[in-house]
Amino acid sequence: MELSDANLQTLTEYLKKTLDPDPAIRRPAEKFLESVEGSQNYPLLLLTLLEKSQENVIKVCASVTFKNYIKRNWRIVEDEPNKICELDRIAIKANIVPLMLSSPEQIQKQLSDAISIIGREDFPQKWPDLLTEMVNRFQSGDFHVINGVLRTAHSLFKRYRHEFKSNELWSEIKLVLDAFALPLTNLFKATIELCSTHANDASALKVLFSSLILIAKLFYSLNFQDLPEFFEDNMETWMTNFHSLLTLDNKLLQTDDEEEAGLLELLKSQICDNAALYAQKYDEEFQPYLPRFVTAIWNLLVTTGQEVKYDLLVSNAIQFLASVCERPHYKHLFEDQNTLTSICEKVIVPNMEFRAADEEAFEDNSEEYIRRDLEGSDIDTRRRAACDLVRGLCKFFEGPVTGIFSGYVNSMLQEYAKNPSVNWKHKDAAIYLVTSLASKAQTQKHGITQANELVNLTEFFVNHIQPDLKSASVNEFPVLKADGIKYIMIFRNQVPKEQLLVSIPLLINHLQAESIVVHTYAAHALERLFTMRGTNNTTLITAAEMAPFVEVLLTNLFKALTLPGSSENEYIMKAIMRSFSLLQESIIPYIPSVITQLTQKLLAVSKNPSKPHFNHYMFESICLSIRITCKANPDAVGSFEEALFMVFTEILQNDVQEFIPYVFQVMSLLLEMHKNEIPSSYMALFPHLLQPVLWERTGNIPPLVRLLQAYLERGANTIASAAADKIPGLLGVFQKLIASKANDHQGFYLLNSIIEHMPPGSVDQYRKQIFILLFQRLQNSKTTKFIKS
Amino acid sequence: MPVTKEQSERLKKFKNKGKDSTALRRQRVEVNVELRKAKKYEQILKRRSISFSLVDESVSPGEDNEIEMSMEEIVEAVNGSNAELQLLATQNVRRMLSTQNPPISQIVELGIIPRLIEFLTYYDNASLQFEAAWALTNVASGNSDHTRAVVEGGAIPALVSLLSSPHMHISEQSVWAMGNIAGDGPLYRDALFRCNVIHPLLALVSPTTPVGFLRNITWTLSNLCRNKDPYPPLDAVKKILPVLLYLTEYEDKDIISDSCWAFSYLTDGPNDRIQIVVDTGILPRLVEFMASPELTIVTPALRAIGNVVTGTDEQTQAAIDAGVLTVLPYLLQHVKPTIQKEAAWMLSNIAAGPPQQIQQIIACGLLPPVVELLDKGDFKTQKEAVWVVANFTTGGTVEQVVELVQSGVLKPLLNLLLINDSKIILIILDTISNLFMAAEKVGERDRLCLLVEELGGLEKIEALQSHNNDLVYQAASNVLDKYFSTE
Repeated sequence: MELSDANLQTLTEYLKKTLDPDPAIRRPAEKFLESVEGSQNYPLLLLTLLEKSQENVIKVCASVTFKNYIKRNWRIVEDEPNKICELDRIAIKANIVPLMLSSPEQIQKQLSDAISIIGREDFPQKWPDLLTEMVNRFQSGDFHVINGVLRTAHSLFKRYRHEFKSNELWSEIKLVLDAFALPLTNLFKATIELCSTHANDASALKVLFSSLILIAKLFYSLNFQDLPEFFEDNMETWMTNFHSLLTLDNKLLQTDDEEEAGLLELLKSQICDNAALYAQKYDEEFQPYLPRFVTAIWNLLVTTGQEVKYDLLVSNAIQFLASVCERPHYKHLFEDQNTLTSICEKVIVPNMEFRAADEEAFEDNSEEYIRRDLEGSDIDTRRRAACDLVRGLCKFFEGPVTGIFSGYVNSMLQEYAKNPSVNWKHKDAAIYLVTSLASKAQTQKHGITQANELVNLTEFFVNHIQPDLKSASVNEFPVLKADGIKYIMIFRNQVPKEQLLVSIPLLINHLQAESIVVHTYAAHALERLFTMRGTNNTTLITAAEMAPFVEVLLTNLFKALTLPGSSENEYIMKAIMRSFSLLQESIIPYIPSVITQLTQKLLAVSKNPSKPHFNHYMFESICLSIRITCKANPDAVGSFEEALFMVFTEILQNDVQEFIPYVFQVMSLLLEMHKNEIPSSYMALFPHLLQPVLWERTGNIPPLVRLLQAYLERGANTIASAAADKIPGLLGVFQKLIASKANDHQGFYLLNSIIEHMPPGSVDQYRKQIFILLFQRLQNSKTTKFIKS
Repeated sequence: MPVTKEQSERLKKFKNKGKDSTALRRQRVEVNVELRKAKKYEQILKRRSISFSLVDESVSPGEDNEIEMSMEEIVEAVNGSNAELQLLATQNVRRMLSTQNPPISQIVELGIIPRLIEFLTYYDNASLQFEAAWALTNVASGNSDHTRAVVEGGAIPALVSLLSSPHMHISEQSVWAMGNIAGDGPLYRDALFRCNVIHPLLALVSPTTPVGFLRNITWTLSNLCRNKDPYPPLDAVKKILPVLLYLTEYEDKDIISDSCWAFSYLTDGPNDRIQIVVDTGILPRLVEFMASPELTIVTPALRAIGNVVTGTDEQTQAAIDAGVLTVLPYLLQHVKPTIQKEAAWMLSNIAAGPPQQIQQIIACGLLPPVVELLDKGDFKTQKEAVWVVANFTTGGTVEQVVELVQSGVLKPLLNLLLINDSKIILIILDTISNLFMAAEKVGERDRLCLLVEELGGLEKIEALQSHNNDLVYQAASNVLDKYFSTE
C-alpha cells in the first residue's frame, strides 16, 4: 500500500462507512479494513489522515482505528509472524510523540493510549529516546503540550503500581527515575508558582491544576514499588507542597456540579492517596511529616460537604486516617477520648448517613445500588471508608469506640421511635452501624466465646428487625425493609435457627414488594438461607420444615419475575434454582405450571439474551426440574420433551449462540433419561449435529460431545442400521477434535463411545483410518497431554 | 485448556510435597537493582582516619610547627629529593585529607599518588612511610576512582610489605588502607589476595596485639570476606575462619560486630559456602550474639544465621540445634522494626523446612509473635510475616496448619489483602488456598468459608477481582470459584 492520495481517499471512504449505523454497510467496511491492515504503510496512512484529513470526524475515527490497530498488532508473539513491518514500526515511533502533542485533546488521548501500548512492549530498550523526547517538552512552557506528556507518562508508568517486583521492572524504573524525577520535581515547583501568579485567572488555573493532578499521579506510580533515593532526598519539597495544596482553596476552582468531582477534589484525593502510600510503606522516613498531614486531612474532612462530588475525596481522606490509626506509633494521635468522640461524631457518623443521592439510587438505579451494597463494589464509597476507619480504630481502642457507637445506636433508635415516618433514616443509620460494625466472628477469650459488645445480635433482631418485616404493608419504608433483610443475610450464622425459621415466611412475603431492592434482597436472603449447612453435612433448613411454604414460595418467586424491572433478575432465578434443589420431590406437584413458566421465560429471553447469570440459573432450574421429576417418574421425560422441544428448535434455528450449548446439555440429559431405543424425534436431529459450523464454536464442543455420546449410548444400533451413511461424518468430528491441542480429549471421549457402543461391523472399515489419524497427530504435534490420553 | 492447568497445579503440589526447598527459601537479594538509598544499617565499606590518633603526637614530629604549603609547593617537594620537604609535604597532604570534606580528587589530580606509594618503601624513613600510608588510606576511602588511583599506582604490594614493618603504627595504617581497598569491591579484594596478604595479616593477630589494632584488623578481614561475583577464594576463606573464630572470643563489641559481619558475608552464598562456616562450629556463638543487647552485634549475627537457614535442611537444623528458635521470639518483638523484619525473614526460611522443623517452630512458641507482627508490624515486617505463614502452610502437616489457624493468623492475614503490593497479595491468596486444602482434609471446609467471610475476607477477595494485576485477579477468582461458589 503506497502512501498516495488515492489510497488516502479510499481509506477515508471506508472509515466513513465504519461509522454507518446500518450493519450492512458497516460490517463489510470493517472487514475490509481488517483485511488490509497487514499491508505496509497502513498505519502511516492512518496517521496521515488523523493529522491532515479535512473532516474532523475522519481524524477522530482514524485515531481510534489506529489505536485499536496498535492494540491488536504491536505485540510480537513468539512463534507467530510479526504483524507490523519493521519500517512502519520505526516510522511510528519517530512520529507519534510530536503528533500526539500537536493534536487536539480528543485525538491526543487516543495517541497517548497507543504510545503506552507501544511503550509496554518497546520501552525502554527498543525506544531509548522516548524519555528524553518527553522530558524536553517540559521546558516548552505550553501546558497543552506538557499535559500531553504527563498523560502519556502516566499511562506508561501506572503499571508500576501493580506489577511484581523484578530486576527487569526495577531497572526500568531506575532508568525512568534518572531521566524523569528531577525534571518532574522542577515542573512541580514551577507549576505551583504559576498557580499563585495566575491565582485570579480561572482558565489558566484549570490547565495548571490538571497538570498538578497528573504530577501527583506520577508521584504515586514512581514511589509505589519502593522509596527511590531521589524522592527520599527531595521529600521536603514534595511533602511541603502536597501539604499546602491540601489546605488550599480557590473560589475559581469550585464547581457548581454536585455530582462530578472538580479539579481541586481530584488533586486532593490523589494527595491523600500519596500520603497514605508513604504512611503505609515508608513509615520511618515519612514520620516527621505525618502529624501535619493528619491535621490537614482531618480539617479537610470536617469542612467538606455531603455532595456526591466529594465522595472520592472523602473516602480517600478517611482511608488515610484508617491506615494511620492502626499503626502502633501513631496511636497517641488518636487515643484522647475527645479525639475519638469527635472522630466518631464528625467523621464516621455523618459519612454513614443515608443521603438523598443514596435514596435516589435505591429507587431509580436499583441495580447499581444492589451491586454496591451487596456485592462489595462499594470500595470507594464513604460508608465503606467510614467502616474501615472504625475497624482501624478498634485495633487499639475497641472498648471506647464500641461504647461510643452503642450509645449512638440507642439514641438513633430512640429518635426513630419518636416519629418513625419522619425519622426512619435514623433507624437506617442504626442498622447500618450494627450490620457493618458488629463483628461477625466470635472471638475466643479466656475460654468463653464472647458475645458481641456492640449490641446483642439476637435481641436486636427480635426487637428492631422483625417488627419491620412483620408489618402489614410490604411496601412501607422500603429502605428499612431492605436493611432488615440484609441483617438476616449478614447475621444468618449468628442468629439462632428458630429465629431464621420465623423469618422465612416473612422473606417469602417480601418477594411481593414493589421495590426492586426489597424483593431482590428477599430472594437473595432465601437463597443464602437455603444453602446453609447444618450438622452432618445436610442443609440447615430441611425440606420438611419448608413443607408448609412450598406453594407460596414458588408462586411468589415466579410472580416476582413479573414485577417491573425484575423480568431477568438473577437473584430471583438463583433463588428458584436453590429452592428446587432444597425442596426436591416436594416440587413435583407444581412442575406442570413451573415448566410452563420457565419455557415462556426462555422463549422471551432468547429473543435477546443479555443476562448470562440469569440465563445460567434458568437452565439449571430446567435441568433440576427434569432430574427431580424423572427420578420419581421416568416416563415424565416425554412431557418435558413436549414442552421444551419447540423452544429449542426455535433457538437452534435462530442460532441463538448464547443458548445453544445449554440446549445441547438439556437434550443430553433428556436423552439419557430414556431407557429404551432412541426416539425418532432425536434421530431426525442427528444429521444436523454433525454440521461443521456447529463445531466451529469452542463453547459448543463439550456439550455437543456429551450429546453425541448420549446418542451413541442409547442409539448405536439405530445409527448403524438407519444412518450408517452418517458414520463418516461422526468420524470427521473426531478427526477435527483430535487435531486441536485444546480439544483432543473431547475427541477421545467420542472415540471411546464409538468403539464401546457401535456394533463392531459398522466401524471396522474405518479402523485403519482412525489409527493413521492418531499417529499423524502424534508425529506432527506431540504434547504430553496427547500421549497420556 | 483445562488439563494443562491442572497438570501444572499438580506439579506444583508435588514440588511442595517433595519439598524442593530452594523454591521456598529466599535468599536475601531477590532483586539486584536498588531504588532505595543505601541501607543505613549496613556496615561501612570504607572509612577515613580523621581522628588525630594517639600515635600522632608521639611519633610524627614537627606537628607543632605546622607549615602550610601550596599545591604547587607540595608537588614540587614530593617530587624533589629533599627528605625533610618530602615529609612536610606529605604531612600537608595527609592533613588536608583528614578534614571533613577532603579534596581527594584534587590531590589525585596532582599526580603525586605514585610518589606517595614510593615513599611506602623508604624503610629508612619511618615517619615518611607512616604519613604516606595515612594519606593513601584517606585517598582510598574516597569513591572508586580514588581507590583505583591508589591501586593502579601499585600500592598493594608496598602495603603488604608494610604489614611486617617493625613499627606497629605503620603496619596498622597499612591494614587500614587495605581495608579501604578491599571494601571497593571483589576486583581489588582479589588483587590483595594475589599479593599474599593473608599470611602477614593474620600473623598480626596475637594475644599481645592491642585491642585498637585488633579492631582495625577485624574490620579489614571482614572486607576481605565481603562481596560476591566472585566470592573470595576458598583457600583464603579457610585460612581466615579460625582467626575470626578466635576474634569472637574478645569482649569488645567492635571486634565482635565486625567478625559477625564477616560471618554474614561468608554465609551469604550457595550452600557449600554456608557449609564451611557451619563446620567451624561457630553457630552457637552467633546465636548467643543474636541475643546481645548491642544492636551493632545483633544485626550482623542475625544476618549470618539468617543466611545459614537459606541453606539445606541439615544446615537449617544446625542453626536450630544451636538454639536459634529460642532467641527468635525475643527478636520478633524487638524494639527496632528492622530487627523484627530480619527475624521474620529468617523464620520464613525455617518455615520452608520439613514438618519436624515446623513442629519446632510451634514448640518454641513462635506462632503468637508472628500473628502479632502480621497484625501490627511495619510494612516490610508484615511482608516477611506473610512469607512465614505462606511457607508454613505449604510444607506443614494438616495438624500444624490447624494449629496455625487456631493461633489467630486468619484475621491479620486477611486484612493484609489491602496491602499495596501485588506479590504479597498473591502469596496471601495462595496461602488461603493452602488453608482450604488442609481444611478439606479434616472436613472443616465449610467452617473455614464461614470464618473467612465473617472476618471480612470474602469481600476483600471479591474486590480483588478488579485488581489490575492479572495473576492477582485470577488467583482471587480461583479461590472464589473453588471455595465460595455455591453451585
